[in-house]
Parts: sequence; structure tokens; C-alpha cells
Amino acid sequence: MDTVCNKSPKQIFAIISFLFFSFIFSSNQVFAADGAKIFKQNCAVCHSLGKNKLTGPGLEGVMTRVPSEKWIYDWIKNNNAVISSGDAYAKKILGENGGAQMTVFNDFTDEDLKAVIAYIKAPPVAVAPVTPAGASGPATPVEEGVNPLALLIGVIAFLIIIVAVLRGVRHSLKNLQNEKQGLPEEDAVGPWAELKSWIAAHRRTTAAIILFILGGFVSAGWYALKDIGVYADPIQKREYNPVQPIAFNHKLHAGDNAINCQYCHSGVERSKTAGIPSVNVCMNCHKGISKGPTTGTAEIAKIYDAAGWDPEKGEYNKPQKPIKWIKVHNLQDFVFFSHQQHVKVGKQECATCHGDLKEMAAAKQVQPLTMAWCIDCHRKTEVPGMKDNPYYESLHKKLAEKFKGQPITVDKMGGIECGKCHY
Amino acid sequence: MATKKYWKGLEELNNSPEFVQNAQNEFAEQIPVEKFLSDSNLSENNGTNRRDFLKFLGFSVTAASLAACETPVNKAIPYVVKPEEITPGVANWYASTYYDGNDYASILVKTREGRPIKIEGNELSKVTFGGTNARVQASILSLYDSSRLTGPLTNGAPATWSSVDKEIGGKLAAIASKAGAIRILSSTIISPSTKAAIADFTTKYPTTKVVTYDAVSYSGITKANAQSFGVELIPSYNFAKAEVIVSIGADFLANWLSPIEYANQYAKMRRVSKSKKEMSKHFQFESNLSLTGANADEREAVKVSEQGKVVVNLYNAVAKIVGGSTLSSSALACDAMITKAAKELTQAKGKSLVVCGLNDTNVQLIVNGINQMLDNYGKTIDVENSSYTHQGDDSAFADLVAEMASGKVAAIITYNTNPVYSAPASLKFADAYNKVGLKISFADRADETASLATYICPDHNYLESWNDYNPKKAHYSLSQPTITPLFVGEDSGTRQAQETLLLWSGNNTDYHSYIQKTWSERVFPMQGKYMVFTEFWNNALHNGAVEVGKGGENEIEAIVADSVVAPIIVKGKTSPKKENTKSEEVKVFTKSDLSSAASKINATKGGEFELALYEKIAIGNGTQANNPWLQELPDPISKITWDNYVTMSPADMQVAKYNMMERQDRMASVVNVTVNGVTVKLPVVPQPGQAQGTVGIAVGYGRDKAGKLSTQTGVVGQNAYPLVQIVGGTMMYGAFDVKIEDAKETTEMAGTQIHHTMMGREIVKETNLENYIKDPKSGNYPEVMHTHAGPVNPASIDLWNEHDKLGHRWGMTIDLNSCIGCGSCVVGCTSENNVAVVGKQQVMKTREMHWLRIDRYYSSDMSKEVAEETGKGAIDMYLDMENPSAVNPKVVFQPIMCQHCNHAPCETVCPVLATNHSSDGLNAMAYNRCVGTRYCANNCPFKVRRFNWFNYNENTDFSFNPSQDDLGRMVLNPDVVVRSRGVMEKCSMCVQRIQAGKLEAKKAERKLVDGDIKLACAQACPTNAIVFGDLNDETSAISVLRKEDERNYFILEELGVKPTVSYLTKVRNCEETIEEGKLPKEKEVKSEKAEA
Repeated sequence: MDTVCNKSPKQIFAIISFLFFSFIFSSNQVFAADGAKIFKQNCAVCHSLGKNKLTGPGLEGVMTRVPSEKWIYDWIKNNNAVISSGDAYAKKILGENGGAQMTVFNDFTDEDLKAVIAYIKAPPVAVAPVTPAGASGPATPVEEGVNPLALLIGVIAFLIIIVAVLRGVRHSLKNLQNEKQGLPEEDAVGPWAELKSWIAAHRRTTAAIILFILGGFVSAGWYALKDIGVYADPIQKREYNPVQPIAFNHKLHAGDNAINCQYCHSGVERSKTAGIPSVNVCMNCHKGISKGPTTGTAEIAKIYDAAGWDPEKGEYNKPQKPIKWIKVHNLQDFVFFSHQQHVKVGKQECATCHGDLKEMAAAKQVQPLTMAWCIDCHRKTEVPGMKDNPYYESLHKKLAEKFKGQPITVDKMGGIECGKCHY
Repeated sequence: MATKKYWKGLEELNNSPEFVQNAQNEFAEQIPVEKFLSDSNLSENNGTNRRDFLKFLGFSVTAASLAACETPVNKAIPYVVKPEEITPGVANWYASTYYDGNDYASILVKTREGRPIKIEGNELSKVTFGGTNARVQASILSLYDSSRLTGPLTNGAPATWSSVDKEIGGKLAAIASKAGAIRILSSTIISPSTKAAIADFTTKYPTTKVVTYDAVSYSGITKANAQSFGVELIPSYNFAKAEVIVSIGADFLANWLSPIEYANQYAKMRRVSKSKKEMSKHFQFESNLSLTGANADEREAVKVSEQGKVVVNLYNAVAKIVGGSTLSSSALACDAMITKAAKELTQAKGKSLVVCGLNDTNVQLIVNGINQMLDNYGKTIDVENSSYTHQGDDSAFADLVAEMASGKVAAIITYNTNPVYSAPASLKFADAYNKVGLKISFADRADETASLATYICPDHNYLESWNDYNPKKAHYSLSQPTITPLFVGEDSGTRQAQETLLLWSGNNTDYHSYIQKTWSERVFPMQGKYMVFTEFWNNALHNGAVEVGKGGENEIEAIVADSVVAPIIVKGKTSPKKENTKSEEVKVFTKSDLSSAASKINATKGGEFELALYEKIAIGNGTQANNPWLQELPDPISKITWDNYVTMSPADMQVAKYNMMERQDRMASVVNVTVNGVTVKLPVVPQPGQAQGTVGIAVGYGRDKAGKLSTQTGVVGQNAYPLVQIVGGTMMYGAFDVKIEDAKETTEMAGTQIHHTMMGREIVKETNLENYIKDPKSGNYPEVMHTHAGPVNPASIDLWNEHDKLGHRWGMTIDLNSCIGCGSCVVGCTSENNVAVVGKQQVMKTREMHWLRIDRYYSSDMSKEVAEETGKGAIDMYLDMENPSAVNPKVVFQPIMCQHCNHAPCETVCPVLATNHSSDGLNAMAYNRCVGTRYCANNCPFKVRRFNWFNYNENTDFSFNPSQDDLGRMVLNPDVVVRSRGVMEKCSMCVQRIQAGKLEAKKAERKLVDGDIKLACAQACPTNAIVFGDLNDETSAISVLRKEDERNYFILEELGVKPTVSYLTKVRNCEETIEEGKLPKEKEVKSEKAEA
């Protein structure tokens, strides 16, 4: 199993440089990230980031078009006021868009607007995705590495050839010497026989080598066994990415359209399972949206097929067919994991375990979901939801007394006891 | 299985030593490993050598690894249209009602993703108060019984509803045109809507008559009350108001009339505490040792023929004190006890209760007389709010059979009854039944009766149907579907029997709206709380039970005329017509009536052996005989599973030289019991406390057509119903003269407890009321350990550090005074925790899987003091201690589950740390970590750990295990793992419920409130004997109890394991002086026979 330590120097360099660059650009990114959220939730319905017009004008280069930065602030906050003040540019825009007024966003603070404008200025392609450490960011190009196994085999083959050649050379040299001294010619001893005699002469060394090799196999086997049933591992850059019966795009729904995760996964605060949405939830929106930006009508037609919806007639008149999704995040049978405990009580983000689905086209498992991974998190995490929850009041006080000054992590509350998850 | 010996070959029949040896091998023959592995080229001795071993080892490891490496693709299939009320992973609860013609309970049904998985009591019910019994708890499994019919049958062949309806409609019309008699034979119906549906049917076919027949009948009481009050009725008994209870053969805690209700009331009077130092006094006169007798303060074993005489003598004894006239009587051996009981009864006039289990009008008349003298009517006996749950009319049934036999009945419809199985042999019901032209059954399976029927029109299970119930005059309850009927089809599947009846009478309404109509017309006007019917209906449905009319405690101000409250009268039904009898107006019994009754009773004579038939708490009257949970539930008294048997006094058995089947290592003798030419062949079991000269046999067994269980395990037990006799127009569940012959055979029985006594140890602590009042600590003096520093309490000596008091610390306390040993908790636990059924063979090997068991101990005549007095040696003393007192042992029950020791001995020995302690005080068991060394079970002083010897869920040898069939698997609780072979399991203290309860509090951002979490065993308990809570919460009920109640103790405290589960000393209301912490010595003089 490889760790950071046995990565090639190039990879380590890549990681370091990625972290370095991320640090440098971090101040910009904070704005951009907030702005992206605000933009997607409020603006994206009517404005595109490009030149194309949706309901409202495309926003590419908007800051160069408008009279001043203050103007755009006022406009976003209350365009009614700007128009009624008799502003010329405002009237021009109103005219360009057929007199349709923009929604009023009174609640935005100046900081929000600053973030949104920063986001509009820096289009999303420039934003580095937040991916697990070690993955390559766009700022740090990584060369395709040579397969170390191939290299090893090559080296071994080369050495074997050298040994064979040297043996031949040694044999002929020995014979030459024997000839000189008048000794009879030595029989050509096969390499196998020679190895055998060498082994017979160096029993301890042989034993040590065999033990060493055996040890290597055992340890490799041990690690291989530990990987059984583990679908994904961020360190090995292994992901579980099954092909689903419908090419549902999380990036499009949760990312671009900023639909809240809970809209579809409604059980997350109420049940132990977040739940895969039933088809009727899909139909809430897709009754109206029959064509998508990436796959057109092909994938959405599958939803209609499952729901028994006839888009022509606009009614449910066909048999229903349940969709057989492939489960991406598989926990072992014998563990009881509760979403409501983690999301509702523990106030954990979905992305902590599921990765940033807003950036994934197809859902994939990025975290290993092994017990070690669970426990690791429980040892590190101070539960954010704990402090204000009256349920934890006395426990929190007692724990604070017991572990003076130390952070009160989940494990200190009994969060790594067997009986908490296995029963 | 029990009596008939089946053998595979002559070896088994002859039981040769070779056969015995082979039978004990796990595998039938040696596995040919050697032959398979050996290679003659490699080894001359034809054995496996080291190299081969390594080769095969390497191969198998590789193969196993490759197989394991395959990552399975799991599918997740969501609903297409999710029902609004279902959130996957969240349970929904529905209020409903269980009534099978015998037991009534208002229940809550827990469903997950639309399937019912658990039944709990409904605390809003004023009848059952949230209590359940084993049969009600287990009824959830009967829903998923694959022996149920999946569609109608015509002469045993599958048919369609349309064809069945058409054929039956035609035949009924033909019968009606010729005015042929149509009879509906059913067990007691307490559903007003069902009665209305039958009334509709009767309107269409006026020759219809309803006959009510209960397999276990109480018609003696109704008939006696008809003489006493002018109406046939069964009153409501209130044991919660009775300070003195005398029961003659009535097993009211387990089976008699309404045991769940009575157990709850009884326990209220039995519970003692710091503030309430009084309890009821309970006398029991009976032949078999019943559960109720085991809980009695004073018990007298009397012969069956003497039970009636006990009633007469008690009448006289009471009459002497209150100054009434006496009846002619005969002297009895137990007269001293009767006098004592009479004295106590008269002292508690108006606060006492006399009940009798004999189904004999004469005896019940005199019982009424006693209660009348004691002024109990209107106080502990409520005639006004009478009980409707048992309305069987034995003479009407006998008349019907005669009518059928004479060929006068043209059509018979059976509903919820199985008389071919349960009718007395003398009636020859099956022959009479076959003479009826059109036989229709609503049975859900082709049982003994239905399999003879022309048409079977299977009814829904109660969990799939709408229904209403009227268990008592003022109590109504509803049942609602908790799952879509499992067997549905276009023209097949099951169908609500009432709908079928309505359809045949030309009414197409569905039963749901029909019930609503009935309720709006009849029940709604009887209440004054709701103005709008829908509001009333929704509330009734939500709460499951409502009280109406005058008997209602909270519900109503308005008084409604009695005629409305009375149940709907069906033509031909001899049910109560008018119940305006006020308790104050109870008719005084005429002396002549009672004296003729008394003389009839006095005329009874017993033979050498007498028989008392009884119901077992698990199987009851036999309706759920196909339920493996119930078959595996040990009988509370005999601790025997999967069988019925003849219980006999050990003294009688010694005389007859039968094998004393004290443990599983001895075979039980088989005997033939003959009553009036009917013979039943059963093994005989020694039963301490059984009246000498009597035997007891449980009914409800021997059902060969109950379902697939009988094919998987063989028919369980023998049917004892044919031994029932009809005497004086009522069924007599016993016989005064039976012949018992040795069948010269032996058989094996599967019992779960091999030790009958405590062997002088103090596992159960007990005292009596007198001493308890004097010193609340009596019987519970702390253990003392002698150290160099002097005697100290073992709890203060500690090898380990105390646990931190952070967060919660769960604890459980069981009140031995409230626990009646009924076993409801055991089935509740089985249902909640997916406990496997292992079957008779495994139980015999002590491999039952129950996480919770109830230990039953008898007192012994031998004690250390007696041994000292008589100069007995230690070995003899312990040998004698093993034997319970034969004549009348005191019985104690003690539920034992994992004690969740704070310093658990199991935890320290586990080599893989599979069992360890949680910060909230639970002894957790991580099954996936367990490698099955069983060290923990060896080290457990309480013997509560259970090892999975087999994969009970897949191994086809255990095909009776519910989780092996697709339908039965639906009962499994998805929150609890199904354990596999090779792991240890034990009580988890329902950790899934604890976690769920905590999570609810966390989500609501509030503190956990005492009572938020209820364990499966605690909720199943009809007497609330189990208290669970947080010991770190100073205000919780359990903390208060442990602090204040001096009766609190821990079992085997001297071991220093510091259990989390504690018990409260049992207090008996009897005078015997109990030496501190010791069981009472038996004072009864043994009869000559016993000494022989």
C-alpha cells in the first residue's frame, strides 16, 4: 500500500506545489466560492455567465459596460429605485429587455455583492476544484509516470542478462587460465547447478533471503486483504464509479442549478438513510423540463418511462417501472450508520463523506468508507452541533472537566465504542 | 413427535450402541479428506503429507481470497411513487386490536417500509392497559405464515372468487328456496360490524342461525349468571380492587377469560413499596400447578373432583361467619385452608374476589353465592360493564352437532373456529360435518375442519383487515390494515370474510365503509365528546380504543339508553338482551337452588386418577400452533418446549415406577391416558405441586393440519381435546376417572431448565409481608465477605477502577413481586431481536437461543438447617436439595438476561475484544469481531450467552426457522443484525432502541426524558415488572427505586462483577416465618404416598 512517503519525487513535488498555489490563490477563492453559491441560487435562473441572453442579459464583461461599480450595487439591490431615479443606462437596459424588470434583492449585503461580482469577473473555469489532497490540480501539471513494475522487470531482466554474460566470460577466462597452466578443461556447469551448490554453501543466507521474500508476500497479502470490499481509496486514487441506468448528473443538478441536496435526499435529517429519491420527486421538475443541456431528451425519457408518463399527452398512462440504481456508497452489512445523527445532530456537510458532488457528473465514491476512516474522523472531529444542544449539556460539561483544554472529539463521547455502530 | 416413535431404520429402533455412537457424530460418516488428498505416488502410507497439506492450504487460501475479492454490485431500488407517510428507515405505528376468539388486546403495530414487524401494547386501552401476552406478541409471525391459503379452494382445488361466489350464491339460493337450514358456526364474535353483516346475511337467508362455540368455553359462568341475574353474561372482574383473592382452578394470570387485563390488575395489588406496604392475599385451590397457582400466597393441591366441594365448603365457611344458611357438605383434607381463606375473605368484605375455573353451572352458581355474601358485586365484580369476549354456548353447539348428524342442516359456514380439531370426541363432529351438503369455511388455511369443507374462502389476517371490537359493554376498539393483503390477485388471494358475507347477501360495500356506517349509527351516539363523526372516527382510529356509554371513565357525560349500548343482537343468538340489572339489585339466590347445586357437586366421586385439562401460556387453545416462536417458548412451570405431556405428581410416578424425567439426560416414560374410551398417548413428566391422584394435559397440541410446521418438525404433541366431556350441558375440561397405563415406551423431551431448585443459594431473595413491614430489608441482607479488615460488603472490594459517570448509565430493575413468569417478554425479545428458533433437538442439547429466559425455582424440603438437625452428610444434603418439595413447593420466577456487569467477566477473557464495555454501561457484543471461542460463555456466571451452533437462517435442517422462508423473513427487524453461525450472542439491552431514543432527543434538542426508551421486554410485560432507565439521572424512576427500595439487590453480588441489572426481593403474603434470606421450609406434612 503506498503512502505519501513512497510516492515518486515528482508526485510529492506536485502535491507540494499544489498546496502552495492553493494557498496563494486562497483569498481570491473564498470570495469566488461564496459568490458562486449566491450566483447559482439567485442569478443563474435569468443570467448566464457568457454572452448569451437567458431571461436577462449575459453577464460576460458586464463590469465594463455599466457606468460604475456603485451603479451595479444599487441596481442589484433595488433596480426599481434606479429606474425611477431616471438613470439613462437603466432605461436603456430596460428597453433592451422588453421592459421586464429584474427581481429586487434587498437582503444582499455589500460583501455578498462584492463576492458575486468577483465571481462574475472570474468565470468558473478558473476556479480550482476542491479535490482530495494528492489529486492533481490544474495549476500543477503532472507528467505521466513510468510504470514502476515495468521498470523493475526491465532492471531485473537487464541484471539477468549481465549475470549470464559475466558467467560466460568468467567460464571462458577460467578455461583460458586452465589451458595456460595445463589443467584439464572445466566442465561447463549450468547456472541451476551452480545456484544449487551456492545455496548448499550458503544455507543461512539463503534462508534469510527466502524469509525476506516470504515476509514481503505476507505483508503484501495482508494489505491486499484489507482492501477487500473497499471500493474507493483517495490515497490510491481509486474511485468507485459505476455506470448508472440513468446518467444522472449531480454537477448539473446540485452544482449548476444549486438544488439543495435535501430536496431529493429528503430522509437525511429524518432517517438513518438519506434515501434515493423516488421517481415522483424527479417528476416534480421534469414534468416541465424534458430536455437537458448535456444529454438532451435521451436520459429524461428514461425517467418518463419509469414513471409511466406520456409527455405527448401529458398524463401518467403507462405502467410504472422502478429504476434499479447501482448503489455507490456501500457500507458493510454489519454497521449501523445514521444520516440523521451525522447531518441533523452532528451538523456534518454531505461533502465530508460523499465528496463534492456539485462537481461530479456521475456520483462516485471518493472516500474509502472503511472502519479506519470512520474512526479517524471520530477521533479528529469536534461535533459542531453539540455545544448548543441541551441534550449534550451535562455531558459536555463533564467532558470539559475531564479533558481540560483538550478538544472534545466524538471518541471522547464514546463515539468509537463497538456498540455504537455494531448491534 | 412426542409419543409416536419414528425411526429411520431398525438400528434406531433397537437403539444399538453403534447407532447411538453414530448418532452423536456431527457428520454421518467420516469425511473422506484423507482419500481425497492422498496421492499414492507421493506417500506410501496413503496419508496426507506435509507438502500436500501446504499445497491444499495455499490453494484454499487463494481460492478464498479470489472469491472474497469480487466486489458485489448492490442495487438500490427506490419507490416509483413513494407513499407520503413512508420514509425509508423510519417506523410507522398503527393502533389496532388483536382478538382471536380467546385473547383480546389493544395493540400498536410497528411497521417498517410498509410491513409490520412488531406488536406492542396500547397504553390508551382501559382493558389491557398496554399489556400483551406471548400469544399476542407472537401473532405478528402468524401474518407471515406461508401455510396460509393464497386463494379460495373448491373441494381442495384452487378456484377463483368469481366462480366460488357464483356457485355458493346458487347453492344458497336453492337452499333458501327449500327453507333449508343454514348455520353459521363461529367462535365468539365481538365485532358489532361482523354481527351486522351476519344480520344482513340473515335477512337475505332467513333460515340462518348463528351458533357460538368456543374451544375453551366459559358457558358455565354465563349459565350460572343467567340464573343469578336473569341474563347470560360474564361480568368484569377487577383484581385491582381485590384485597383477598380466592381462585379455585382458575388460571386467571395466564388463560382464564382475560388474562392480560387480570395480570395488570393483579400486579397493582401485589406491588409493594416504601409508601405502600400492603398487598393482596391470594389463595389458590387447584389440581395442576398453574402459573396462577405458582404466584399464589397460599396454594392447596386438590383433586379435580374436590374442586367443586372446595367451593361448597368455602360457601359454608363464609356463611358461618357472615351468618347465612349453610349447604350440605363433605369434609375435605384442605378444610383448614378453606376456613382460613373464608376468614380473610369476610374481613375484606366488598374488597375480595372468588373465582373458579370449572366450567360447571352448579359450581359457578355457588361461586356467585359466595361473592354475593361477600358483597363483591358492584365492587370487585362489575355486572354492568360485562365482558363479551367469551360467549360460547356449549349446549347450543351440542344441539347443532345433533342437528347436523340428523342431516337437517343444509349449509354450514364456519368462521374462526376449528371444531373437527377441538370438539369433544363424544360429539363425533367430523361425521356430523360431513353430512352437511354445503360446507363453507372462512379459515385462513386448510386446517382440520376447513380441509373437509366444500369451499374455503380464506379471510385476511387481522393485520391486513379492518375490523371493530366490543370486548366489554363500554369498550370499543378498531383494527386497521397495517399492510396490503399479502395474497392479492385479480380473482384470487384472500378476502375479508365480512365482505364475502356481505357480497353473498347482495351488498357490495367494502367493509371499511360498512364499519364506519355501523359506528356512526351505533357507537357514535353513545359518546358525548365529539360532535362530528369523522372527528370521532379519526380519534378512535388513532387511539385504537374508545370508551363509551355509562361504563366509560373519561369519555362521556351524556347517558345513553341501555338498549343502545347492548350488543347487536343476531337472530337466534342467545346473547344478553337487556342489561339493566344494577349491581344493587342483584337477585338473592334462593336457598333451594344452591342446595340442589351443592348436592349435585357433593355427589361427584373421583376414581384412582383424575384428569385436569389446561391451556399452556404459549399455545393456548391451539389456534397459533403453527407459530414456531410459541412452540419454542418454554412452559413457565415445566420449562418444556415443543410438546405437551402428562403432568403427574412425583409420588404417584414413583409408585407406578415411571422414569423421573428430571433432566434431559433421562428418557420420559410414555403412558396411555384413557377417558371414556378415548386414549391419548403422551410422555409423563413429574410435576411438583400436582395434586396426587390427578394428571394434567395441555390442549392445543397435536394439530396435524395447522400448517407446514407439522411437516417440518412432525406433529407437535397430541390432541387432548377429544378427552373433553359434555356434562350437564357444559364442556368439562377434565375427567373424574381416567385410566393410565404404561405404554412401555420412552421418549425424549426438550426442557430448558435442568435445575429445579436453588440448591441453597440465594439467587432469588424473598421474604413475607409481615417481616417486610417490620424490616423492609428483610430477606435482603447484604452479602458479607470476610477479609483481614473484618467483614465487608463485596461491592466495596474492587479489583478495577469505577467507570466514569459521564452521560448515561443504563440500568434495569425487575420487581420479582410483580413478575408472574408469563413469558411475554421472551417472545417480545425474540420478535425484536431476530432471535433464531432452534427446534426440539437443539433445545435438548441446551442450545436454545433466547436472550431472555425466565428461571423457575421450586423450594426444596431440604435445607442446611434440616441437614444439620437430621445429621445428613453434605453429598446427601445436596442430592436432596435438588429435589423440589413434592407436595406443594413454593415457586419463584426470575427473568434472567445479560446482567451487563460493570466488571464483566466475559470481557476480560475475549481474545479478540469482541465483547466490551460501553461508556453508558452496556456490555456490547460486536458479532463481526467474534471468532467463537466461547470463552465468554464459559466465564459468564449468569449463563446468558448463546452460541450460534448452526446457521439457523440458512441451514435447511432448521427449515422451521421463520427467517428461512421468503414470507417469514419479512418479520425480521431491520435494525438488528441476523447472526450467523459461529458467533456468540446475548441480550444487548435493545441497544437499537436506546440509540433510537437518544437520537430522537438529540434531534429535538432536548434532554432525554425518563420513559423515552422502552425495551422490548419491558413493553411486553403485562405487569410492568421491568423498569429501565438512566442511573446517572437522579430523578429517573430507576434511580429513585434503587435509592429508596430496600428490596433492591444484585444476583451473585459476592462475585464482585457489579451487575447493572438488579432485582427487587419477592414478598409473599403468608405467615410462615422466613428465616433471613432463606426460602421457607416446607411445613406441610407429607402424605403417606409421598413418603413411600
